[in-house]
Amino acid sequence: MAFKSYYPPSGIYSNSYKKDMRIIKTKTQWVLSGLFFVSLLAIPLIPFPKSEYVLRIVIGAGLTIIMCLGLNILTGYCGQLNIGQSAFVMVGAFTSGLLNHYLGWSFWICIIPAGLAAALIGMLFGAPSVRLKGLYLALTTLGAQVILTYICLFGLPISSAGFDVEPIKMGSIVFDTPQKFYYIAMLFIMVMIFFAKNMMRSGTGRAFIAIRDNEKAAAAMGINIFRHKLLAFAICTFYAGIAGSLLVHYMMWVQLEIFNLQESVWYVIMILVGGLGSIEGTIFGVLLMTFLREIIYVMGPIAEAALTFLPIGAGSGILLLIVGVVAVSFSIFQPRGLAHLWGSIKAYYRLWPFGY
Amino acid sequence: MEFLGKIIISGLMNGSVYGLVAIGFVLIYKSSLLLSFCQGNMLVFGAYSFWAFMIITGKNIFLSFMLAMVAGYMIGSLIERITLRPLIGQPMLAMVTITIFLAQVIDGIIVLIWGSYPLQQIEIFPRASLAIGKMVVTTEVLYAFGLAIIAMVALMLFFRYTKIGLAMRGVAEGHQTMQAMGYSVKKILNICWGVAGIVATLGGILLGATLGFQLTLSSIGILAIPAAFIGGLESPGGAILGGLLIGIVESIVSGYVGQAAGPPASFVILIMVMFFKPEGFFGLKEIERV
Repeated sequence: MAFKSYYPPSGIYSNSYKKDMRIIKTKTQWVLSGLFFVSLLAIPLIPFPKSEYVLRIVIGAGLTIIMCLGLNILTGYCGQLNIGQSAFVMVGAFTSGLLNHYLGWSFWICIIPAGLAAALIGMLFGAPSVRLKGLYLALTTLGAQVILTYICLFGLPISSAGFDVEPIKMGSIVFDTPQKFYYIAMLFIMVMIFFAKNMMRSGTGRAFIAIRDNEKAAAAMGINIFRHKLLAFAICTFYAGIAGSLLVHYMMWVQLEIFNLQESVWYVIMILVGGLGSIEGTIFGVLLMTFLREIIYVMGPIAEAALTFLPIGAGSGILLLIVGVVAVSFSIFQPRGLAHLWGSIKAYYRLWPFGY
Repeated sequence: MEFLGKIIISGLMNGSVYGLVAIGFVLIYKSSLLLSFCQGNMLVFGAYSFWAFMIITGKNIFLSFMLAMVAGYMIGSLIERITLRPLIGQPMLAMVTITIFLAQVIDGIIVLIWGSYPLQQIEIFPRASLAIGKMVVTTEVLYAFGLAIIAMVALMLFFRYTKIGLAMRGVAEGHQTMQAMGYSVKKILNICWGVAGIVATLGGILLGATLGFQLTLSSIGILAIPAAFIGGLESPGGAILGGLLIGIVESIVSGYVGQAAGPPASFVILIMVMFFKPEGFFGLKEIERV
């Protein structure tokens, strides 16, 4: 994010704050962004081999982008670690699913209480920890993961097999195939990215960054630490709730098992690889890690069959090991993630051939 | 009443292992102000390497125990040397997240070496049962309990009377002071992680002997976090008491409410303690100065 405001494109002089804050600055950028949007809309129409499989991966990545955007606002911008994001996705999913299954509310009504319920429960868990310094939020979110899973498993009138949910409807159109759902997902992803990007340019977003960088200094400048940390946490869990609601109406089924601690750890890895405190970075990280995961899912069983000296069931170890090593090496060698690389590439292109 | 007694005894037994694992957290927290999320996976690694040494040495318990301790020390200090030392001076967030990622790496290594299915059970402690009044306790569990207590006492003595133990406490107080006094902080941090590895291995062996050698043992690394926190993250003695408390609460709740209710209950206690006494019962209250 920093690159845009520090290094505008060549020949662009910002002579007002408003111009300086613009995300898209030149006509070329407008054209390129327009082309990008059009190509995004055209993806489901292209008849390439195994298109449904690819589309499912793309939609999965898209929903993960929403969850990780929230997480990045909390972890990357406000500096609070959350390792229970998938529990809050679960809250959104179950709120939306139960409202739809038992009361018959449509998706467009369900999604709002889903997001709000996740934010409310998130604030409930966040309240004791954001009062304190340090990484106490990591502990309470871990607790949220354990406690909420238990409540959903035993406290709700459902069986562990799950229950079915209606797909999204709009008039007479039913969004029940990946080709159709893709557009709904894109709509929400765009809105959420837009919201996050603008939020971080506002006073609240800058307050988050101030809290991350130095809590005492931020307090001395008159930022209400408690309120802003809680707000960051509420936004983070709101994103999770929205993503959860979308997820159940996409899968048309609610099940408990997909919301586990491992998933939450995945989200942390994704934002770290992408770049903490960067909206673009979140997208890059999610795309890269989803791609990596799919490759290993396909390659794992083949490798397990080929390498006979490995013990039974070692295929999942390959995934864990590779992902773990990628994450560890990113946090040691490239702590600013893919977003930093992207910025360097852009700087190189802009300064070429006189870059140094 | 008989049921309650039985529950409390089993809670004490579990709690002693929790306490032992919680000491690992305290060791690392004291020296580097860092909560290590890979403790549970180090525990599984220790347990599995003990199992492998048992097979290799033909069930020589003493030898494989010693070898597993060495392996535990090695993995602990390797983790510190390779991944955490480059991060000295980085924000806390980076260090905590890296321990979460390390958990994945260790898990991956374990699965690649030993597979993802539970290992064949081997008998370590003589199997018999003992009647206390009307309650029956297996000797296996008693041995585990006794070993856990011995280990705790040994660690407390280590902190109090050996030079390295004292140096570790000094490092916890402040890195710069210790450096000025001529101790190598890096070296002591390394030893700290090694000792944490040993503690994890010990816990792993005890758990493996009673619950079986399986991957799900790593969840104990998460369940022991409330124990460490409630006792106060700076105090080994507090960790033990916290472990016993969590063990008892967990077995009472799972006895009366339902099998799965134990872990959520201990996290509820964690959040309550965080609300009312954030430094834990035996921890140090931090006074903040600008």
